[in-house]
Amino acid sequence: MGKTTGEAKAKARVIALPADFRLGSVADVKAELIEAFDAAAQLDGAGVERVDTAALQLLVAFRREAAARGQSPTWLGVSEVMRDAAGVLGLAQALELPAPMPA
Amino acid sequence: MAKILAVDDSASMRGMVAFTLRNAGHDVSEAENGQLALDAAKGSSFDLVLADVNMPVMDGLSMVRELRTMPAYKGVPILMLTTESHTDKKMEGKAAGATGWLVKPFDPEQLLATVKRVLG
Amino acid sequence: MSKAGLAQFQQVFIEESLEGLDTMESSLLALDEGGDGELVHTIFRAAHSIKGGAATFGFPEMSSFTHEAESLLDEVRSGKRAIDGSIIELLLRTVDCLRGMFARAQVGEPLNDTVAEGLRNELAAAMGRGTPAAAVQARRDVDQADAWTVRFRPHAGMLASGNEPLRLIRELAGLGKLQVTPEFDKLPAFAALEPTECHIGWTIELTGPVKRADIKGVFDWVEDECDLVIEAKHVVAEVAAAPAAPVAAPAAPAAVADAGAARAQRETSAESSSVRVSIDKIDGLINLVGELVITQSMLDTFREGDIDAARLAVLEQGLAQLARHTRELQESVMGIRMLPIASVFNRFPRMVRDISQKLGKQVKLELIGEQTELDKTVLEKIGDPMVHLVRNAIDHGLETPDKRRAAGKGDTGTLTLKASHRGGNIVVEVSDDGAGLNRDAIVAKAIQRGIISSSEGMSDDAVAELIFQPGFSTAAVTTDLSGRGVGMDVVRRNVSDLGGTVAIRSTQGNGSVFTITLPLTLAIIDGLTAAVGEERYIVPLVSIVESVQLKADAVRSVVGGGELFRFRGEYLPVIRLHDAFACEGAVHAIDEGLMVVVEGDGSRVGLFVDGLIGQQQAVVKSLEANYRRVQGVSGATILADGSVALIVDIAGLVRMQGRRKAA
Repeated sequence: MGKTTGEAKAKARVIALPADFRLGSVADVKAELIEAFDAAAQLDGAGVERVDTAALQLLVAFRREAAARGQSPTWLGVSEVMRDAAGVLGLAQALELPAPMPA
Repeated sequence: MAKILAVDDSASMRGMVAFTLRNAGHDVSEAENGQLALDAAKGSSFDLVLADVNMPVMDGLSMVRELRTMPAYKGVPILMLTTESHTDKKMEGKAAGATGWLVKPFDPEQLLATVKRVLG
Repeated sequence: MSKAGLAQFQQVFIEESLEGLDTMESSLLALDEGGDGELVHTIFRAAHSIKGGAATFGFPEMSSFTHEAESLLDEVRSGKRAIDGSIIELLLRTVDCLRGMFARAQVGEPLNDTVAEGLRNELAAAMGRGTPAAAVQARRDVDQADAWTVRFRPHAGMLASGNEPLRLIRELAGLGKLQVTPEFDKLPAFAALEPTECHIGWTIELTGPVKRADIKGVFDWVEDECDLVIEAKHVVAEVAAAPAAPVAAPAAPAAVADAGAARAQRETSAESSSVRVSIDKIDGLINLVGELVITQSMLDTFREGDIDAARLAVLEQGLAQLARHTRELQESVMGIRMLPIASVFNRFPRMVRDISQKLGKQVKLELIGEQTELDKTVLEKIGDPMVHLVRNAIDHGLETPDKRRAAGKGDTGTLTLKASHRGGNIVVEVSDDGAGLNRDAIVAKAIQRGIISSSEGMSDDAVAELIFQPGFSTAAVTTDLSGRGVGMDVVRRNVSDLGGTVAIRSTQGNGSVFTITLPLTLAIIDGLTAAVGEERYIVPLVSIVESVQLKADAVRSVVGGGELFRFRGEYLPVIRLHDAFACEGAVHAIDEGLMVVVEGDGSRVGLFVDGLIGQQQAVVKSLEANYRRVQGVSGATILADGSVALIVDIAGLVRMQGRRKAA
């Protein structure tokens, strides 16, 4: 489960997405993301092993909200599983996933 | 490989399902009725539940309703093994919270195809 | 996936289906007597399981047959149809018919017969249809195109049912090339988003030669959980409106092929039978084996070192433990073969109902001790004698309501089946409160048949015994129920073949009680070891009346060979075992040996042996299986010293003696 680092408001807040990021955990992640609007959030999806529509939908809503607030959260990492799921659902663009690292 | 719970009061049907899925490399637990399935579900986290509809003690529909109240089983696929080809019967299962169904009779190939389909 | 691996479940399926049919039958009978609605559910469940499994395990004929019965039951269950006598009757016949189908399945014969066909039509007719409808096949869309637009908008609750758009779209991708565009117009602001609901929609462009039905198939589980529009962009060729029949056809050939394969497997497994064992019994066994292992390792410590007095005590204790565990283990293992007599009892409610209706009698059946356990082999063989006794009781024992009223009894007669354990035996009683045996009628018939010349001096018991004589029948009119050329003599013969006895106790006007006493198991007998020369024989304890030491002059030779001795006012024939089995070095003088009075095949004889060595439990080994059938011997066993002892078949010996006398 993600852990926020530091209390300082100005500092970037890293949100590590859980390994099992599915229906069962989206409510917890949402609670964590709400906190992240105060700071420049960094999303870390490198450790995501399982993901579903609900999870990606949550992230889409998060980015849209952030954009409305003039923020643009950045990605620290995106797992292959996440990238694949986003591709299938046509959400890669909406999530502004970074281009995959060249091997 | 997935953790699968097979629920059926018929030992032959349950055995066939479990045997087929184990052969395909899945980790299969068995339960004889809805109540025992709930007990099993509480102690473990399954990726998929396959359940008969008509069972003594607790039927499949009640079991699905109960499972769906458990946070860990909110989005877990639950397939009803049903002989009903009538739409309203299938919908009863859906209304209870089931993901879908597999209409009996099915052969091992159909079972595996459906399981593959639902596990993605 | 091998089909062979599944064959094991076919036998399980047949067994559980037969149990299911028993349940259906007893529930139908209870329903007939005004049972509650829960019974309908029980019956429905049983029919449903059979239907579901039948096709899966290669019996499609049975599946479609059960389908008709199930539809009927479903209407009853849902209250659309009231259950009445005629439906119960129809369903009872369905149960019989299915039993027949399973019996044919076991031996690999074709399942359908004219009875099944007729019944299927009756069931369909009861459902208000002329002929059974073929399985309803979903109408297939036949239009095909090489490009489609799929608009898919899940309802908010779809995710909760485990249906993942991710999975659905992946599945679509298996059909052709996809272009997926999400729609966020319904997506709420972040704070308002209920994260477990789905608020995204998709428009999917699918390119490839795909049938509409295949696309619909992907969404078949979520039809009611989403808005779905499937539009063809480029129609390839509109297939001319196909007639309905060919569409339904494709399912059939596969089923036929399966049935063929299944049948081939069935033939190989027809002979095998199995016992279902409760987990408790198995756990008990595992426990015992555990104890045995502990004892063994304890005894193992005596391999080394000297044994002094203190250790000797421990050794003795260990050996005693070993003996106890072995005995318990033996009992537990035998227990696996022990099944409740309920499976035999359960066939009687139906039979009693049918026979009493046919004869216009009112009969209440009481079953007592259904959970009494006995050996599977005995269980399988006790059925026929009981059927005969029950038939007899209803046919000859119980009276019609008129006659009962005239005798000052209630209209309804009571027939009681009672099972209990008594010592190492199981006792089954078939009793009725009917007219009882009519002494005068029996005597008259016996005289007419030449069985006796006069009843003078015969006790009531002796008269009752007459009904066990071959060729005896007291019914004024030979009914089609009892008059099948099978008499009480055959009942007694069958029971005595199992090492048991049949006795009757009857009071004129108050009914009769037939008592069958059988050993709990055929695999172990309690016997006395007798010495005859160098040989050892086991005499079954159940057949021993008494053993006596006689004076030399107590045995008299009779004219035409043979010897007799007087025992309690009767003259009994003597069978010298050393003669019967040609043993050398045996005692010949009567006063030096022992006379064992035994009872077999309804008569008593004296077995002359050298002496008795002791009582023991003998594990019966079949001679037939290992050697060949030997007259006068029912089997063999291994004695403690490793030598073989033959088990004396008393009834067989008596018959041998009779033939020798006749010769």
